[in-house]
Amino acid sequence: MTGPTGRTTITTSTTLIPEHTHDSTRKDPTMRGITRRRAGFVAAIGAATLLLTACAGNDAGGGEAAAPELELSDEPVTLSFTWWGNDTRHAITEELIAAFEAEYPNITIEPQYTDWAGYWDKLSTSVAAGDIPDIIQMDEKQLSTYASNGVLADVGTYASILSTEDFPEAVLDTGALDGTQYGVPVGINSYTIIANQDLLDQYGIEVPDDESWTWDEFIATAEEVSAASGGATVGTQSWGFEDGGLNNWLRQQGGSLFSTDGKVAATEEELSSWWQLLLDATAAGATPEPAATIEREAGGLAESFTATNASAFGPWWSNQVQALREASGQDLVALRVPSVEGAPDGWAYYKPSMFWSGSAKTEHPAEVATFLDFLANSEEAADLLLAERGVPANEAIREYITPKLDEVNQTVVGFLDDLAPEIGEAPAPTPPGGGAIETIIDQHTQQVLFGEMTPEEAAASFIEELQRALDDAAI
Amino acid sequence: MSALGELRRVKGQPVSRQRKQNKAAFLFLLPWFIGLALITIGPMVASFALSFTRYNLLSPPRFIGFENYVRMFEDERLHKALAVTFQYVFISVPLQLGLALLLAIVLDRGLRGLSLYRSAFYLPSLLGGSVAIAILWRQLFGVDGLVNVVLGWVGIEGQGWISNPETALGTLMVLNVWTFGAPMVIFLAGLRQIPVMYYEAASVDGANRRQQFRHITLPMLTPIIFFNLILQLIGAFQSFTQAFVVSGGTGGPVDSTLFYTLYLYQQGFTSLNMGYASAMAWLLLVIIAALTAINFWASKYWVFYDDQD
Repeated sequence: MTGPTGRTTITTSTTLIPEHTHDSTRKDPTMRGITRRRAGFVAAIGAATLLLTACAGNDAGGGEAAAPELELSDEPVTLSFTWWGNDTRHAITEELIAAFEAEYPNITIEPQYTDWAGYWDKLSTSVAAGDIPDIIQMDEKQLSTYASNGVLADVGTYASILSTEDFPEAVLDTGALDGTQYGVPVGINSYTIIANQDLLDQYGIEVPDDESWTWDEFIATAEEVSAASGGATVGTQSWGFEDGGLNNWLRQQGGSLFSTDGKVAATEEELSSWWQLLLDATAAGATPEPAATIEREAGGLAESFTATNASAFGPWWSNQVQALREASGQDLVALRVPSVEGAPDGWAYYKPSMFWSGSAKTEHPAEVATFLDFLANSEEAADLLLAERGVPANEAIREYITPKLDEVNQTVVGFLDDLAPEIGEAPAPTPPGGGAIETIIDQHTQQVLFGEMTPEEAAASFIEELQRALDDAAI
Repeated sequence: MSALGELRRVKGQPVSRQRKQNKAAFLFLLPWFIGLALITIGPMVASFALSFTRYNLLSPPRFIGFENYVRMFEDERLHKALAVTFQYVFISVPLQLGLALLLAIVLDRGLRGLSLYRSAFYLPSLLGGSVAIAILWRQLFGVDGLVNVVLGWVGIEGQGWISNPETALGTLMVLNVWTFGAPMVIFLAGLRQIPVMYYEAASVDGANRRQQFRHITLPMLTPIIFFNLILQLIGAFQSFTQAFVVSGGTGGPVDSTLFYTLYLYQQGFTSLNMGYASAMAWLLLVIIAALTAINFWASKYWVFYDDQD
C-alpha cells in the first residue's frame, strides 16, 4: 500500500489476493457484522476462500501415483507437521522434532498443533486452500474421508525408507483401505470401564469378576455405590457420548456399526436396547441426572465425574487412564467392559489410537518417509513418546519401551496384554463421512436422556442421519 | 451531494491540484475497496455459486442444482435452529432495547459521574460477544456456579441452568440483554438531540414528566429506536460465539441453543457439507433482508422525523 501513485498500488494489491484469502479462513467465526449489507455473509467468507483456492490444490486420486523415487535432498527442506493434543503432548512432540532435526540438520519440521475440537476445521480448510501439511496425525474416523479425497499419500510407496515389518498385520491393516496403506498406526487402545478402587473400598463395595460380568451386574453394582454413598458419589458416569461404547455394545449383540461395504450396519433393535439400558440405569440412580451429565460432558476430561472422584465407574479408552489418574489422584484401575449373556467370542477389539499419515501432495516424499520412520520405528522417538499416544502398535518398540514406562502405564500395557486372547477382528473401517457420528451420537443420547425421543425413535433417526452423512460423502 | 462531489467543488484551486486530491482520496479509499471486494463481495458471489454444489472442502465442488435448497424443507434440525434463533431474537432484542432506553433516560437526568456510569454500562457491549465472557457465563450458570450460590443464600435450590434444555436458551438471552450498552449510548446521544425548547414549552403548558416523555421524548426518539432495532436484530440473528462456547459446539442440551449460525458451522466444518452451509447462509440473508424490509415498511407508521413537513 505504499506505492507512490494509485496505479502501482493497484498492481500491488492484486498480488495480495492469496494472502488475504488465506487470512480470511482464520477469521474468528463470531459473525457479528453490523451493517445490513454484511449481514448473513460471514459463512460465505470462508466458502469463497475455498472456491478461490480450490483449483490450486485439489485433484483427487493423487495418492495413486506411481511410487516416487525416494532420494534425500542435500538442500534445506522444510516439512509441516500437524497434530492434535493437550499441552503434555505438545511438549513431547516439540522434543521429538528437536531430536529429529539434530539427526537431520538440513530438515526443518514446522509444528502446527491445536486441540481436538479445532483440529478438523483447521485441517479441512488447509486442504481446501491447497496447503496440506506434509505429515498429518490422523484419526480412524477421518482416515477414509481424507484418503478417498486424495489427500493422503500411499505410505506403502515409502517402503524403502519406512519399514512396517514390526507391526502385526491385523493392526497395520487398520490404516489401510482397499489394500492401500494410508497411515501407520501409532498406538493401540481398548475400551474399558475405569473403576475408582479407593471409592469402592470406602463404601465396601465388591466388584464382580470383570472377566465375566454382565451389564446388569455392572449397573447393580453402580446402584449400590449410589445408595451406599447417600448420593455423594454416583455409581457410574453415563455412556452414549462417543462411538467406542456403542461399537462394543453392537459387537456384543453380534452386530457392527458399519458394514465392510461402507453402510450403516447397526440395527434399530441393537441401538434402542443400548439407549434403553442407559435410561434404565439413569432411572435406577446408577448414573447421574441428565443435566449433570451434559454439564460435565461440555467440560471435557478434567471436569468429568471420574477425574473429580465423583463417580465409582466410568467408560473410557485405555490411553486416558494416565490423564485421569493424574487428575483424580486416586487409585483408578482399568476393567473389562461388561457384556451380555450369549455374546459372541471376540467382541473386544483393539482400536488404533491414531495414525501417522503423509500428504499426497508433498514435494519431499523422501524426507516425509524419513520422519515417519523416525516416529514409527526409532527407539529415540519411543523414549520421548512413551505411551502418551497409546501403547505403541509397533511390537519391537513396545517391548523396548515397556520397562521404561511408569507404573500406571505398565498396568495399562498389562491390561491390554491380558485382553489379547479375547480380542477379535477389528471393526469395519469408518466409511468416508462417518466422522459425523460424533455429533449424531451425542445429539441422540441427549434426546433420549431428556425424554425428547424414545430409544426406538432415536434408533431410527440415528440410522437415517448417519446413513445420510455417508451418502453425502460418497457422491 | 456526495462526498466526492464536495471534493470536486473545492473553490479557487487549479484543476491539476483537484485531480491530485481526488487521486489521494481514491488512494486512501483503496484499502477499504479491496477489503470490500475480497472479503465481502467476492465471498458472497462464491458462496452463492457454492450453494448449488456439493462441496466437502477436500475435493473440488460439484454442481447439483437446487438440491441444497430443496433439502432445507425436510431438514428438521434446520427448522429447530430457525425456531431457536427466532425465539432468541424476538425475546432478547426488545428486552435489551427496553433496558437500554430506561438506563439512557436515567443517565440523561445528569447524574454526577455520568461518564463513569456510561463507560461501565457500555463495557459489556464490547465484551459480550467474546469467548471469555461465554466461558464466564458457563461458570456462572453451572450447577456449582455463582448464580446458584446467590440463590442458595435466599433459600432457593438452583439447578444447572445451561445444562437444562428448559433454561439454556434463557441464559443466552440474559447474556444478550446484558450487552445493552451500545444501544444505550446511541439512545443517550438521541436524547441530547431533542431541543430543550419543546420541554420548556410543554412545562409552560403544564405537562408533567410522564406526559412530556409520552408526547415529546418518545416521538422524537423513534428514529433512534428504529435504528437500534434494525442494528440489534441483524446482530442477534448472527450470534454464534455464545452458543458455541456455552454448549461446547453442540447446540445442546437437546439442540435448545442451536443457533442458526451454529448449525451452519456444524454443517460446513463438522459434516463437511460446505455447499449446504452456503445455501443456509443465503437463506439467512433472505430472512434478514425480508425482516429489515418489513421493518422499513412498518416504520412509516410509527417513526417520526422532526424535519418532515
